[in-house]
Amino acid sequence: MHYTIFYGLTIGAILYFISIGLSLTFGTMRVINFAHTITYTIGVYILITFVIFFKWSFPVGAVLAILAIIPIAYVIERFIIRRLYGDSLDYTFIATFAVALIGVDLIKWIWGPAPYPLSDPIGKYLILFDVSLPIYRVLMVISAILLFILLHLFFKMTIVGKIIIAALDDKDGVRCLGINVDKYFSLVFVMGSALAVLGGIFYAPISSIHPYMGLAILLLCFAVVIVGGMGNLKGTFLSAFALGMLMALTARYWPQGAETMVFIAMAVVLIFRPIDI
Amino acid sequence: MLEIRNLDVSYGYAKVLHDVSLNIKTGEMVFLIGRNGAGKTTLLKTIIGLLQPQKGSIVYAGKEISNLSPERLYLQGFRYVGQEKKVFGNLTVQENIEIAAFASGEPMDVSLKKITSIYPKIKDFLKTKAGQLSGGQRQILLVGRALVGEPKLLLIDEPTQGLAAIVIEEIIHILDSLKKQVSALIVEQNLSLVKQLSDRIFLLKEGKMVREIISKSEESGIQDLEGYL
Ligand SMILES: Nc1ncnc2c1ncn2[C@@H]1O[C@H](COP(=O)(O)OP(=O)(O)OP(=O)(O)O)[C@@H](O)[C@H]1O
Ligand SMILES: [Mg+2]
Repeated sequence: MHYTIFYGLTIGAILYFISIGLSLTFGTMRVINFAHTITYTIGVYILITFVIFFKWSFPVGAVLAILAIIPIAYVIERFIIRRLYGDSLDYTFIATFAVALIGVDLIKWIWGPAPYPLSDPIGKYLILFDVSLPIYRVLMVISAILLFILLHLFFKMTIVGKIIIAALDDKDGVRCLGINVDKYFSLVFVMGSALAVLGGIFYAPISSIHPYMGLAILLLCFAVVIVGGMGNLKGTFLSAFALGMLMALTARYWPQGAETMVFIAMAVVLIFRPIDI
Repeated sequence: MLEIRNLDVSYGYAKVLHDVSLNIKTGEMVFLIGRNGAGKTTLLKTIIGLLQPQKGSIVYAGKEISNLSPERLYLQGFRYVGQEKKVFGNLTVQENIEIAAFASGEPMDVSLKKITSIYPKIKDFLKTKAGQLSGGQRQILLVGRALVGEPKLLLIDEPTQGLAAIVIEEIIHILDSLKKQVSALIVEQNLSLVKQLSDRIFLLKEGKMVREIISKSEESGIQDLEGYL
């Protein structure tokens, strides 16, 4: 049972990393960003390029992957997402989904369709409550909690964070105060993409790396964002861990049903708290 | 200082403003009145750059500004307070002011001093989430926030709508204290307030400017206006 709880925390951490960007993009720009899968997946492929092909160390590869995604995310925001401002949500969904599919083909073309294995870069275990936990996964959970605290401070203490909070509420209000909101939205987008890649980097060694890896997890992340409230950072954090735990507990008794349960939970939340789109 | 000529504005195919003209001179407090749906909000949003006119011109200080964004117009001294009384609800009152101070490059204590000078009681709310303020407090915060930096022209949409009588008195007092310091174009349905504060009044009817009243001494004119509202 202890292991199940720990496993739930691990999934929660991954879901949290990837969901922040989705939640913020929806909250600020009103865009359902399916292209998020592709920044995430490309980030992971850049990681394996350094780690598997160049044989560089995992941390170096991780840092480079995150840095490399910054210009890519910026271009996607600047030339695709920004054109979708004010469009209907289904349209933003279709347009970004197209980007995601193009990305998948691009990945197949560059790296091939076959999956790559990546092993746990630490490989050591920690004995806690009579169970041995991979240190790598412990690190993952701690990082997610640290990230939550850092983001909280960023949005509470810095003027940039406050402007983004204000824009989540009332974009035109911020514009009418002479602030170029688009610049801040770009920043939010790039930040969300980089965090998704961080999630991907954590997840890669414990899952398999293939061109479609982003699509599967993105659906789960949409559930996280819907349950947590779009644009609600604390809600995203809590809902990521709650759904992660739900997946782990379901998997213990009914392995095939883990993902299904997440969507059932989402449906239940939607019944009691419909989103106003 | 502001000259609007022959403005047409549409939402999609629905034309809402037809050939509207209006002007504001430096230091004037001008009111815009008209029934619900007449197009008053549309006109203010067009001036501030949230909507684009299909035809006509808006000239400010000798320059055409109808193609400028709200961001640019802010730097020129335009301040817009919308009808919905929207504050940044998840931020405190102080942070609401801080954002305006940041945008205009004004030190925060200068901004705070300006706002406390029109409404000293704001000091008690600085740490309150703006979302928890009453309608009247929100309105005062919004007007106060508009004074940050160097405001030249205030555009305020129905400042007293939905507020209690005592609060309306407070707002009249604040607007009165701003007279002559800045120019203003204010949409308002409350005719006694309009009578008290206006230098000139424009009446908008079904998207057309029907008349302009030169001075508020035209008592009978104001009486007439009630018929239109
Ligand atoms: N976003 C919009 N899309 C389409 N039509 C709109 C939109 N906003 C307003 N209208 C229409 O334009 C007309 C003018 O609206 P506007 O809000 O400018 O009127 P108003 O004079 O401010 O009214 P009120 O006193 O109710 O605030 C109305 O007929 C309204 O239905
Ligand atoms: Mg209106």
